[in-house]
Amino acid sequence: MKNTFTQSMAWLHTWAGLIFGWLLFAIFVTGTLAVFDKELDHWMQPEVPATEVSQADAARRAVAYLQAHEPQAGNWGISLPTERSPGLRVSTGDRRHGGGVQLDPRTGEAIEVRDSVGGNFFFRFHFTLDLPRNWGIFVVGALALVMLAALVTGIVIHKKIFKEFFTFRPNKGQRSWLDFHNASAVLLLPFHLMITYTGLVIFMLIYIPAGVDALFEGDSRAYFNAQGNARLEQPRQLARQPGQLVDVAPLLAQAEARLGPLGGLNIRNPNTAGARIEIRPELGNRIALAKGQAMVFDGVSGELLSDVPQWRAAPLTQRVMVGLHFAQFGGYPMRWLYFICGLVSCVMIASGLVLFCVKRGRKYGNGTAQASARRWYRVAEVCNVGFISGLLLACVALLWASRVLPVELAQRESWEVRTFFGVWVLALLHAGVRPARRAWVEQLLLVAVLCIGLGALGGVGDAMRVGVVLSALVMGVLLGLVAWRVGKAVPAPIRAKAGRNVEAGA
Amino acid sequence: MMMWVTGGVLFAYVGMLGLCQGLERHYKQVWQRPCPRALRVGLRGAGWLALLVSLLLCAQAWGWAMGPVAWLGAMSLSGMLLVMLLPYWPRLAVGLAAVVPVWGMVQLFG
Repeated sequence: MKNTFTQSMAWLHTWAGLIFGWLLFAIFVTGTLAVFDKELDHWMQPEVPATEVSQADAARRAVAYLQAHEPQAGNWGISLPTERSPGLRVSTGDRRHGGGVQLDPRTGEAIEVRDSVGGNFFFRFHFTLDLPRNWGIFVVGALALVMLAALVTGIVIHKKIFKEFFTFRPNKGQRSWLDFHNASAVLLLPFHLMITYTGLVIFMLIYIPAGVDALFEGDSRAYFNAQGNARLEQPRQLARQPGQLVDVAPLLAQAEARLGPLGGLNIRNPNTAGARIEIRPELGNRIALAKGQAMVFDGVSGELLSDVPQWRAAPLTQRVMVGLHFAQFGGYPMRWLYFICGLVSCVMIASGLVLFCVKRGRKYGNGTAQASARRWYRVAEVCNVGFISGLLLACVALLWASRVLPVELAQRESWEVRTFFGVWVLALLHAGVRPARRAWVEQLLLVAVLCIGLGALGGVGDAMRVGVVLSALVMGVLLGLVAWRVGKAVPAPIRAKAGRNVEAGA
Repeated sequence: MMMWVTGGVLFAYVGMLGLCQGLERHYKQVWQRPCPRALRVGLRGAGWLALLVSLLLCAQAWGWAMGPVAWLGAMSLSGMLLVMLLPYWPRLAVGLAAVVPVWGMVQLFG
C-alpha cells in the first residue's frame, strides 16, 4: 500500500484496471456488438427472407402452420416479424429454450435455416462470459464492481478534470495515451457510470437476495405477485375439453393499439376450451424493459382476461434502469448513440491497458531491468495484444464461421463457438511468440481484412444486411488505419508508441 | 424525427464548441491569439444556450423521458469528436458550426 489517499487510489486504479481490464474489454466489446444483436442474427442466417408482411397475416399463417403440424402441443410460441427481426418463427414448448421452425411470412411454409448462435452469442457472452449461467452472472457482476471502482478511483486521481476537459495532445507518446484515456473517460462519464451501474441492477436479486428472503421468506413467486405480475391460473379442467381457436388478427390489433408495436404471442392450450392467447409488446416501446409483460386473451371468446400490469414505484425504477442498459428504446438513432458510446468505452479501456505498458516500457522493456520484472512486463504485453486485438479477431471470426462452416454440419452452433474461442487462444499464442509491435500490427491487420471482407460472403439481400456489411467495412478501415499507424510509429529504443491513439479515437 | 435528432446532435456539438472556445487555452489553439474577456464570456454563454437548445430538440425527437438520455449521449459524443478534431484540424472543428444555419434553412423551408 502507498502512503497518501491519492496514491492508494492510483495503485488500485492501475492494478485492478490491468488485471480485470482484459476481461472488461471483452465484456464491453460484446456488449457493444449486442446492441445490434438482431441485425447480426439476420446477417448470420441469410436464408431468412426480408419481407414486408403485416403482423396479422404472418400470425394467421403461423397459426395455420401450427394447426397443421402441432395441433396437440400444450403451447405455441410465435415470434412475429418486426422492424429489426423480419423472420417469422414458431415453436412449441418454452420459447426460452430456442428451437422452433422458421417460416416464410409470405407463404407460411417452413424454410430451412442454418443453425447459428447468431448475434445472441455476443449478448450471452456479455453477461456470462460463456460460463454456466449463474457462475457467469456472478463473475461479470464482480467485474462490474471493479469497473465502478476503477471509474471512481479514476475520478479521484484525475486532478484536472475541468482544466483538461477538452485536452488531447497527439504524437507525444505516453502523454497522448493518458490524454486520450482521460478525455474518453471524462467526456463519456455519464455513459460509463450509467451502463456499469444499471448492469449491476439487472441481476440485483441474484447478487443480493437478502431483501426478498427476509420479506417473502424466500418465496420468489410471492415476491413477483406482490409486484403486480400475478399470473392467471391456468384453467386445468377446461384445457381438457376441445375448443375452437378465435381469429388472432383482431386481438393483435387491439393489443397493438394498447401497447405499441408487438413482438409476438403465445397460445397456451390451443384447441381447447381453456386456450389463452398472450400477446407481448416489442421491448422498446418505452424505457422500462417490458420483458415478461403480456396482454392475455381468452382463446375461444377473444375476451381480454388481463391487461399488462402497472408496476409499482420500486419495480418500475428497477425496470427503467434495466431498460437504460438494454437500449431497446428510441429506435435506430438511439441504438447508434449507444453503439458509438460503447465503442468509445471499449477504446477507453484499451487505451488504459496500453498506457500501462507504454508507461513501463522504458523501464522494463529492455535488458537493464531484472529478469523477473522483465518477464512480468512481457506477460502484460502479451495479454494486452491477446485480449484486445485477439478478442476482436475472435468476434469477427465468429461472423465468418456463421457463413463459412458447412450448413449441414452437425452441432454447427457449438462449432461456431469453438471457432470463437479457438481463434482467441491462437491470437494469445501468436502474441506470445511475436514481438509485441509485430503482433499488434499483424492481428489488427487481420481483423481489418476480415471486417472489410464480410461483404465478400454474399447474401446481402436487404437493407439490414447491407447495413451490417457497411458498418463492418467502416470498422475494418478504421482498424486498418490503426494497424498502419502502429506499424509506422518510430520503433524508438524506448518503444515510444507515439501517435497510435489518433485513429483509436476515430 | 430525423430532423430533430440531427438538430439535437448538432446543437450539442456547437454547445461543446462554445464552452471549449470560451477557454483561453483552446481559443489560442485555434486562433493563435488571446481571447478578449467579453468574447470569452459570450462564447461560454452561447455554449450553454446551445446545450439547452439541444435538450429541447432531443425532447422534441424522443419525448421528455427518452430525450434527456439521448441528450447526454449526444453531448458526450460530440465532445469526443471535438477533442479529436481540435489538434488535427482546428479550423474544421470550429467551422462545423456553419452547419447550424444550413440545418435552420432546411428546417424552415425544407
